[in-house]
Amino acid sequence: MDLDLIKKLVKIVDSSGVTDIEIEENGLKVKIAKKIRNTQVLSQPPVTVATAQPAIQPTSAGQQEQVKAKEEVEQAPSNMHEIRSPIVGTFYRAPAPDADSYVQVGSVVSPGSVLCIVEAMKLMNEIESDISGKIVKILVENGKPVEYNQPLFLIELS
Amino acid sequence: MFSKILIANRGEIALRIIRTCKELGISTVAVYSEADKDSLHVTFADEAVCIGPPFGKDSYLKIPAIISAAQVTGADAIHPGYGFLAENANFSEICQESNLKFIGPSPDMIRAMGDKAFAKDTMKNNEVPVIPGSDGIIENLDEAKSLANEIGYPVIIKASAGGGGKGMRIVWEESEFQKAFQTAQAEAEAAFANGAVYIEKFIENPRHIEIQIMGDQHGNVYHYGERDCSIQRRHQKLIEESPSPAVDEDLRSQMGEAAIKGAKSVNYEGAGTIEFLLDKHKNFYFMEMNTRIQVEHPVTELVYDVDLVRQQVLVAAGEKIEAKPKKPHGHAIEFRINAEDPQNNFRPSPGKITSLHFPGGFGVRNDSHIYQSYSIPPYYDSLVAKLIVWGKNRENAIMRGKRALNEFIVEGIKTTIPFHLKVLEDSRFRSGNFDTSFLEKF
Repeated sequence: MDLDLIKKLVKIVDSSGVTDIEIEENGLKVKIAKKIRNTQVLSQPPVTVATAQPAIQPTSAGQQEQVKAKEEVEQAPSNMHEIRSPIVGTFYRAPAPDADSYVQVGSVVSPGSVLCIVEAMKLMNEIESDISGKIVKILVENGKPVEYNQPLFLIELS
Repeated sequence: MFSKILIANRGEIALRIIRTCKELGISTVAVYSEADKDSLHVTFADEAVCIGPPFGKDSYLKIPAIISAAQVTGADAIHPGYGFLAENANFSEICQESNLKFIGPSPDMIRAMGDKAFAKDTMKNNEVPVIPGSDGIIENLDEAKSLANEIGYPVIIKASAGGGGKGMRIVWEESEFQKAFQTAQAEAEAAFANGAVYIEKFIENPRHIEIQIMGDQHGNVYHYGERDCSIQRRHQKLIEESPSPAVDEDLRSQMGEAAIKGAKSVNYEGAGTIEFLLDKHKNFYFMEMNTRIQVEHPVTELVYDVDLVRQQVLVAAGEKIEAKPKKPHGHAIEFRINAEDPQNNFRPSPGKITSLHFPGGFGVRNDSHIYQSYSIPPYYDSLVAKLIVWGKNRENAIMRGKRALNEFIVEGIKTTIPFHLKVLEDSRFRSGNFDTSFLEKF
């Protein structure tokens, strides 16, 4: 196995959607892997990730906040999973104003656990988790508007 | 007056609407699909909400997402632009129910004009000339034949359940009628399991002339002259102009009055366009009414000195139309610049724009959302820019159009700019003597 070949393999991994290559030749095994910097688990349906816009903000002001949120999202390790809003609406932590929140930071969830409500056109839509894990971060404030595909929760996979 | 308007559209028309709102001091909300996050209308608006994934049905056509976006941003009105939900009566109704003012006509008006048979009847009852024809389906051969004689040849026999040219026969003289009628019925039965046919006068090589009207909530309806949209490819308009070379002051007056009568009869509110077919004898016939702002509205704006989108907003807010029509001044031509390859059957050409220079100078207007390094998404229509020129007469406008098209640089994608230049060289186009068959012979 020569250095040129290894360089070519690195290039392939770097410039494509391939995340790892493993080659064995004459008893020599080489593995080249790309570190996943985005927060999507690979089994998720493909969605444009790194530019996830945070909550609706005036597009000229609020630039700094946007950049900060982007950085936080990009640096999450690969066992983190984002729950994103499937609809446009208003985010609520609890089923009613005086009720307990569905989840807190640290809550353990499983597929089907209700995490929050996104209210749209007077309809309360319960948003469920699709994976098992622990809530690490809640990304939206109670009562704030959310747009399509906006990240709501960060869950650490168990 | 509204304090915030949500624009339920994308591309150049979204930008157009945002511009007028800014001039009126109204805040704007853009909605966008994920494919449009780098679109100019998103940047120009005061706020932007992502409403769904790329496909139209999941985003720009998704009523709950749009209504929800209006609610979370506190918009008080929605402008639907053209296409998408602009003529969707349900959407107009849901806006009403959600306490959002739909900038356009009421659901009933949209339904009325969307029903072709009803629209035709309404116009007929208001002495607007319609294409003469049978009152619905005709089954009996003798009845059909005598009606055809009454209408006058040539006539066209059309399948009621059909389309795509099936069950359609043009009859040029009485001796051919029986065979044509029976064959059309048989073909319709075979293609659509419904042999029902109706008859209409066949208008040979018509010109497509449409009248721009505007109605307010105080009962005023005005017309802003005509646009000639006969340069079409497969029923898609490519070049539009105002005034029409085929329409003189007299005819304009007749068509305008007919259009106003038709619109008043349904208490029309907002911007609307009444489409007519003009035959070679200068007879005009109602074809259909579009209850929205149209792509080619800028040619009217330049010749009649009116901001039609502004009038739409004012009218929707309950005000009287502020710009009463003046006499037409000069001549305007619009060239639809599509991201298509005219050398390869107008195949769509999405991609990244690597180099861009818009034409400028006196009498040149660009309505476009593209910019250098912008990538045109493949999910929507191929219109990337509208180049509109104004000249003091038609010849002047053609010269200016040629000059401007030659200055227009777009690299990285193919566009229809070379095609437009060719049309401008064509002697029939230059003479003003053309009809809807122009591009077939081109």
